Amino acid sequence: MLVAGVDVGSTQTKAVIITGEHEILGRGLCSTGAKLADAGETAFNLALEQTEFAEPDVAFVVGTGYGRFNIDFGDAQVTEISCHARGAVHLFPGTRSVLDIGGQDTKAIKVTADGQVVDFNMNDKCAAGTGRFLGAASDALEIPLGELGPLALAAKNPVKMTTTCTVFAESEILGWMAKGRRIEDVVMGVHNSIASRSVSLLRRVGIEPEITFTGGVTRNTAMVELISELVGSRVNTNEESHYCGAIGAALYALDQVLTGAGTERGLPT
Amino acid sequence: METQKVAIRPALSQAGNTRTASRALMDNWWKQLGEADAAAQPVANTFVMGSLAEVLNTFDIPMSFPEIAALQTAVKGKAMDYLLAAEDLGYSPDICGYVKVDIGLHATGRDHPLGKYPKPGMVVASNMCNTYIKWAEVWERQYGCPVFVLDLPGWRGTGFEYDSSSETFRNDVKYVEGQIRDLISLSAEVSGKKFDIDKLREILGNVNRMSELYQSILAMNKNKPAPFNALTEGINYMGIANILRGLPEGVEFMETVLAELEERVAHGVGALTDERYRLLLVGTACYTNFRDFVGMFERWDGVFVASEYMSYAGGGIDRGLHYDLSRPIESLAEQILITSQPSMSGIFFSHEWQAKMAEEYDVDGICYHGVKSCRTTAAGLPDAREWLLNNAGVPGLFIQSDLVDSRLWAEAQMRNRIDAFFESLQSRRVQSGV
Repeated sequence: MLVAGVDVGSTQTKAVIITGEHEILGRGLCSTGAKLADAGETAFNLALEQTEFAEPDVAFVVGTGYGRFNIDFGDAQVTEISCHARGAVHLFPGTRSVLDIGGQDTKAIKVTADGQVVDFNMNDKCAAGTGRFLGAASDALEIPLGELGPLALAAKNPVKMTTTCTVFAESEILGWMAKGRRIEDVVMGVHNSIASRSVSLLRRVGIEPEITFTGGVTRNTAMVELISELVGSRVNTNEESHYCGAIGAALYALDQVLTGAGTERGLPT
Repeated sequence: METQKVAIRPALSQAGNTRTASRALMDNWWKQLGEADAAAQPVANTFVMGSLAEVLNTFDIPMSFPEIAALQTAVKGKAMDYLLAAEDLGYSPDICGYVKVDIGLHATGRDHPLGKYPKPGMVVASNMCNTYIKWAEVWERQYGCPVFVLDLPGWRGTGFEYDSSSETFRNDVKYVEGQIRDLISLSAEVSGKKFDIDKLREILGNVNRMSELYQSILAMNKNKPAPFNALTEGINYMGIANILRGLPEGVEFMETVLAELEERVAHGVGALTDERYRLLLVGTACYTNFRDFVGMFERWDGVFVASEYMSYAGGGIDRGLHYDLSRPIESLAEQILITSQPSMSGIFFSHEWQAKMAEEYDVDGICYHGVKSCRTTAAGLPDAREWLLNNAGVPGLFIQSDLVDSRLWAEAQMRNRIDAFFESLQSRRVQSGV
């Protein structure tokens, strides 16, 4: 028996197919773009292609992320806050605090041992301190996102970014470059800005170890280092962290199939 | 996959009476304001906190409440027109949305969606909100009208409540009483009428009765299911409580509300067909997206059983305000001092009130709605939320938008936070085995 979780985020869409024994059989990843339903379907199909199964074999699909209501093949919806919490505890059972840096928002979540949300805090409506801030740096400096982390780790004297506005960040980055600052110092300044705002959110819900870092920004090595440094302990991440929301959604899907739990709205019960 | 709920409710004899009365009274209020404006009769601009309606009504001075008028433009979908008109004049996007709606109304011919928005003939403000004073100064400069600002000293001790047995309190009463006497003189001058202390007594007596009824109305929501939504229906009770404070029609309205609610309770009829979550609202709603806002909670069968707004915007009538009619002016001063304290000290002590309300009304969670253009009411909300969670075990949701500015409303983010909050409430309920 298979279930799926599809996380339609503001920047990327992720999907996983898992078995009743929690084994991940397939993963799908694509850019979200403007057509949310298409992105969900594409990621789902990509995940399915990695398995030996077909769509009818997937018993239940839970959608999450901002585009969760656009997944027309989904059976229920759960917010990404609940899904990241559930996914993080599944990946790292000792998790009590979760930090998810997404494309447009950052979530700090306090969780129970079984992955239920005790409390959460999110960034304000603007994208300061989110993955989009890195996107702005990538655009302004014309450096691929994936290269920002390693570049930042080479910094010797990071600049101090003063703006919290993602839009204005581009002009500040160019301003630092115009002053002759080294590119790695500017990039590290951007990382510091995001990390400090994210950890501040985490402090508001109360940092309790273990801390698990989730979302696409976990692939950024500099950010993992910085967050670990700021919270005072090594944060949990692994290769599945990027898919954490989708994994959590799939686990809720599994609950539905195994126990019939939840309601018509896909509540995480 | 959502199932449609069909409400099967018993036929109630009082059903709809409150709504009918509320609409008629509000329409009549606007009609009277329009007539006063047309006849060049002085109208007093005053505020929901510290209106001093008791004095103004003694002189039959029509009262305009710019906060209520601004709220109504938002519900009618017109607030942005006035906000932009004010911003065209140079008022910053950061300024209180209510102020800018008012500025925009005055700048565009004073045509409010519900009637003619009158010119102020006088202003009664207080220091209960720091914006009131500067707002009043705008009218003073624009229309040359007299401005009375009630200066409430505020309790200098620690704690939420005034120590009414202290010498400090007695001195403060004298200070406020002197100011009320100044307002009486000003009102006599503006209205051309003599002060009638017996009429003041009569009005104070009506406020006493309104307060008793209002307390009974609020207490109705201790029942399960809660018979009214403290946000959607509560805002109407609050509006009438302000515009008809101390008048017989105000007393009659409160009696109508209570009768309708008592009947609902007697028949087990709730504000929602299926009440699953009982909530306390701290802050206000976003009136521009009022239905959407409420719908995000009702979708989860969440009902606001109590609202801080029904307290701090009510001039103390929720707190058992009782005037001593044998010494009306002194008693008015005392009650203003005592009942204004929760608003004056709200930033530091509102969590105590919230904990008390959460227990009394058996709420599942608290929604804190921060108003972007009002730092006075929004300050401290995240701290209160954390305190309630950590010390009283009551979970809270913190969201932000605005009273009237739809540019500060982001539906996807709002819904995401609200859905996540309800998901966590659901988890709590399952874990606790309820």
